[in-house]
Parts: sequence; C-alpha cells; structure tokens
Amino acid sequence: MRKVLTAVLMCSLLGSLIGCSGGNSADQPASAGTDTAPSAAAGDKKEPVKLRIAWWGGQSRHDYTLKVIEMYQEQNPHVTIEPEYAPFDDYWKKLAPQAVAGGLPDIIQMDISYLNQYAGRNQLADLKPFTDSGVLDVSDVSENALSGGEVNGKLVAMNLGVNALQTTFDVETMKKNGIDIPGKDWTWDDMDKMGAQAKEKGFLIGGFAYRHDVFFPYYLRTIGQKMYSADGKTIGYADDQAFIDYFTRYQKWYDNGYILSLDKEAQKKGVAEEDEIVLGNAISGTGWSNQFLAVANLVPDRPLELNPMPGPGTKEGLFLKPSMYFSVTETSKHKEEAAKFISFFINDIEANKLIKGERGVPVSAKVKEALKPLLSENEAKIFDYVTWAEANSSPGDPPNPIGAVEIEKLLRDLSERILYKKISVEDAAAEFRKEANAILARSQQ
Amino acid sequence: MNRLRENEHITGYVFSAPFVLGFLIFTLYPILSSLYYSFTNYNLMEAPSWLGLGNYERMFTEDDKIGKSFQVTFTYVFASVPLRLIFALFVAMILNTATKAVGLYRSAFYLPSLIGGSVAVAIMWQQIFGDQGLVNSALSLFGIESSTSWIGNPSTALWTLIALSVWQFGSSMIIFLAGLKNIPKDYYEAASVDGANAVHRFFKITLPLLSPIILFNLTLQTISAFLTFTPAYIISRGEGGPLDQTLLYSLYLYRKAFSHFEMGYASALAWVMLVIVGILTLLIFRSSTRWVHYESKGD
Repeated sequence: MRKVLTAVLMCSLLGSLIGCSGGNSADQPASAGTDTAPSAAAGDKKEPVKLRIAWWGGQSRHDYTLKVIEMYQEQNPHVTIEPEYAPFDDYWKKLAPQAVAGGLPDIIQMDISYLNQYAGRNQLADLKPFTDSGVLDVSDVSENALSGGEVNGKLVAMNLGVNALQTTFDVETMKKNGIDIPGKDWTWDDMDKMGAQAKEKGFLIGGFAYRHDVFFPYYLRTIGQKMYSADGKTIGYADDQAFIDYFTRYQKWYDNGYILSLDKEAQKKGVAEEDEIVLGNAISGTGWSNQFLAVANLVPDRPLELNPMPGPGTKEGLFLKPSMYFSVTETSKHKEEAAKFISFFINDIEANKLIKGERGVPVSAKVKEALKPLLSENEAKIFDYVTWAEANSSPGDPPNPIGAVEIEKLLRDLSERILYKKISVEDAAAEFRKEANAILARSQQ
Repeated sequence: MNRLRENEHITGYVFSAPFVLGFLIFTLYPILSSLYYSFTNYNLMEAPSWLGLGNYERMFTEDDKIGKSFQVTFTYVFASVPLRLIFALFVAMILNTATKAVGLYRSAFYLPSLIGGSVAVAIMWQQIFGDQGLVNSALSLFGIESSTSWIGNPSTALWTLIALSVWQFGSSMIIFLAGLKNIPKDYYEAASVDGANAVHRFFKITLPLLSPIILFNLTLQTISAFLTFTPAYIISRGEGGPLDQTLLYSLYLYRKAFSHFEMGYASALAWVMLVIVGILTLLIFRSSTRWVHYESKGD
C-alpha cells in the first residue's frame, strides 16, 4: 500500500528522470526509456531503426498486432519494433508520465477522448507532410474518415477504422418469447415497450449502463443539440430539459427492473464474457459496432443482429466514429519511419487479413473490398451495418475538449446518484451543468 | 597514518553512497518537488504554472468530493484499526496459551498479512463478496437468500474493505504475541492466589503491561490505514464507487493525478494528507501519557 503511494508521490515529482506508472499491474514487455537512437549501421543499406509502439486492448488484439508487426519487420529488415501494450485504463496512466519524461513511444494508439489533451499540448506530430509526400498513403481513405483525426487544422492522428453506435438484438430469444422485434426506424417508446415485454418474460434489456458519456451525447444529437459548445469552453446544450428527459426515461427503466441493477453492474470488468446477452439474461445490448463481434462470437447458437439506436432523429444522432487512431509523437526521432508503418497498417491487404476490422471497419475502401469475401458471418454483419450507417448518419462532433474525461466521470457519478435516489433528475441536471462548466473552465487554463 | 585514515573515510563514503544518493534522489527531491508542485497548476505535459495557494483554496472551498473522501477515509480508519487490533490481541492471547503446533498457527494467521496489500487478495475479495460469491452462498445455507453484490452495494461496499483490513491482522498479532510472552507468569499466579478472575487479570495485568505495545501497533496501523490504496483501487476499478463509498483519500489523490492529470492539485492533496496523519499521530502520542504504562518509570 505504502509502496503504491510512494510511487504516486514519485511520479508526481519526477521531472525528467523516469517514466514510471503507479499501480500498474499490466505486463509490459518493453520498458519505458529504451534507447531509441539508431546505432551506426555497418554495411547495411538502410540505417537500422528502432520504433516503439503502444496500444491498449484485449488479448486477441495483442496477438494479431504482434503478428502484423512481425510481418512488417520481415518486409523491412532494418526496422525493429518494440511493442508496449496494456488495458485501456492502465494505458493512459502509463502514457502520461512518459509524456512528461519526453519518452513517449514513436507511435501511440489514440482515443478520441484524449486526442485534444495530447494534441493541444503539442505531444503529437502533424502527419500532413507525410500524407502529402505519400509516405502515409491515404488515397483510398475518404476525406470524412481522415478529418476525424484533425485538431486545429493539423492531422495529428490517423483514423484506423470506423464504428457506429448500435443496438444488439438476440432475435431468436425475442421471437421465442413473443417480444416484438423493432425495425431500423424504432423509437424510444418502442424501447420502453420492449423493456416491459422482456421484463414480463424474465429478461433484461441492455441499458446504457455506465456509458452515458456515449449515449447522452447521442440523444442530444437526435434533438439537434450538442454535448459541448463549438469552442469547447462550455456545455453545448442550452436547455436542461434534454438532460431531464434522458435521465427520467433511464430512471424509469431502472425502477421497472428493465436493466441490470447497479450493484451487479459495478462488478463488471467490461469483457464480453460477462455480457448479459451472453449469460442469457438480456435480449438486447448497446454499444459500438466493433463491440458486437466479441459478444456475437460467444453465442454461436443464437444469431445476434445489429440495429440502429432508437429515434426519432436517428440519422441526426448517428455518426461514424473513428474507433481509434495511431498518432506519431512529437518526440519521435523517426517520424517518417513511423508514418510508413501506419501506412502499412491501414493499407496492406495481407496485414488486414489478420486485423479483420477488429479496430473498426477499415478506412481504406480497397482493404474493405478485399476483406469482404473473407469475413465471417458476424463480421459481415458489422461491415453491412457500418455501410448502412454511412448513408444514414450525420457528421461527427469535433474531438472532445480537454477535461472531457473528468466530465464523463461526473456524468457517471450523477447517474448513480439519480438511480439510487440520492438526487432528483432536475437537481442533477443543474449540478451537471455547473460542475461540467467549471471543469471546462479550469481545463482551459 | 594519515593516508590510512583517508582511505577509511573514502570506504565509508562509498558504502554509504547508495543510501545517501537513493535518499536524495528518490526521497528528498520528490518530496521537495511535490511541495513545489502543490503550489502550481501542472498537467504533466506542460510546464507547471504558479498558482500560489490556489490548489489549497480549491480543496477547501470548491471541491465537494474531498469531504466525501475524508468521511470515507475516517470511517475506514476508525473502524478498521480498532477492530484489527482487538482481533489481533484476541488471537495472540489464544496462541499464547496454545501449547501444540503453535508455530503452525502463528504462520497460518500471519499469512494474510504477508499477501496483504496484494492485487490477488483484492480480486479474491471481489469474488467472495460478489453477487454469486462465497458470502451469498454461505448465507443461503442459513436460509437467507441474497443476490446483492456486497461490493457493488453502496451501504456495504466500504465494510467489505474494512473486513479485508481486519482479516490482515497478522503483523499486529505477532507483535502482541511477543509482548504477551514478556509478561512474567508470576504476576498472574500472584493475582490468582489473591482471588482475581480472568477478567480482572486481563484488565489489571495484561492490558497495562501491554500498553506500550498497543501504542506502537495503534500508531503504525493508523498510519498504514490512512495510506490504504490497493484494495479500494482494485475493488472499485479505480473509481471509488459505488456512489463514492470506497473513495479513500489516497484513491482520490491518485485519480486526480493520473486520470485527470492534475498533478499540482494531487500534490496539494498529498501534503494535506501528510499534515492530517501528522496531527493524528501527535494526538495519539499526547494521549499516551494517560494510558500507556511503562514499568521502568516505576509508576
């Protein structure tokens, strides 16, 4: 215990010496602060290059990413790539001290919540020169997909794939129990009805659980509002009624027992194996399109289907989200080599046969085409859904402002207090506005 | 002659260098810089900017969570430390009378403390108090049907942490045991002859003679309880939930530093924690003159 605290204290202090990560239990094959300087090459045509790359994810992602790296090294013998990987939460805790120490890996996987934080503080290199020169080949990537990685006119992150929000239905179970299966144009009222029918048969519907940071902004978009103002300095919606409507409905679901109780929810580690659909307790779930795969693969005997989120205003609400990015860091000594690897990652057909859209539906149209015949049934469903969503969605919002991570936590806290009846929805709406604006103001300093 | 002395000096410096350097680089420098950062706004990535007392002001005027985390921490400390000490003393007294296989028992009871702060234990605890865990199964044997998750339920979550802390009573127990062994047997024999029963003997002989040890354990355990971090971090997935019921101060500090990248603010939190623990330790020492009995003083 004391050791951890000391570690925390130390991390808070290190100026430039060490990149340590407090309380981090994840295995990490390569340690921070490795020497990235190339040693002098003797006789070799190209000077040997050592690149460090970091990503977050689960075991399957680690496995195939390592294979892709191997493949790249075989084709580019002068490049050695050192991987560093961790689960999502640990990943960011590891990255921050590395940023302080000036020891960030050359390539880091980036998430939209953190993009502004890192880009705004000049940690990420502009990739424009490399897309211009063709080192980073984006000729098959749509402008829309590319712009998701832009901050202040600079391309600081390369989109690796796109996702769209979706509702998963366990159609077989629904049919068997006489629960109506809503169509693509369903509404919140349909969802109420579905919850009631499911409850009667002893099933849950997958609520939004903890991810209000995803679904509340979706709801706001469906009614023509935004979570954050365009300049990112305040909350974007003018009227608290939106918050009240959203959480009143959610609370009703909770009180009626349509969704999983909070104490059980609190225990979830966020892996597909404990999904309530997999456990046979729920007939539906909600999430990003790429999350569908893990769940669907775990229930081979019950076909699952992807459906859009409830409306009205589905088209306005839905958007194609960059699932994650690769960024090249400003401190990297080999930016061009790093860009080359990213180019390989998004364009190489053989590599993508391993990746298979696990990081979102590929951004390269050519890769997408080439993968189609190779996809499993569940993977094909995701590609189809995202293709449908491309035609039935609206442009996404700019990356979240700095402070968004803290605001997401605030939203989750408030949702818990609402469900446990510690605060009224009206008061929560007011408190959210006040606190969130304070966080945004502080983060702008 | 002179050269020999010089050599001795050098040897001395060389041998003490690892500690001195370690202390300067890994203890003193971090402590001082954290004091400096506590007066700044520092997000880890940009150079810190001077705030003066801003962080401290914010702690006491703006931050609602801090009150909650104080409440949680104090509940945790004031419940877990006495319970743990009472339990440790109780077991130590039983072991003190045991004659057979006492070594085995001692090790067995000490074991939880050895693996105490570990992540594995916290994960095990998560299972035991989960909705399909051991506790609920045990309750169902007695006909009590419960499907709640004890660690996910706001009214019980903190108590599972306290239970975990009490379970790790081993180190205090070993120290108590050593203290008990030091109390001369003749005192008890004399008291028995005079007609004192077990309760009398405990309160008139055992407790007073053990009081210096109690003071030692109390101080040590209080400080370490304030620094508890791992179990709360694991059990609540780093969030301090549900409803902030397990938001121990150290966890809150950690979250500020590493989830929200507010290093300056977290440093200020750390210093306030230091002051509080300092004051509390002082109070324990001050109060000790009233209840700690030292034989050597002859009173």
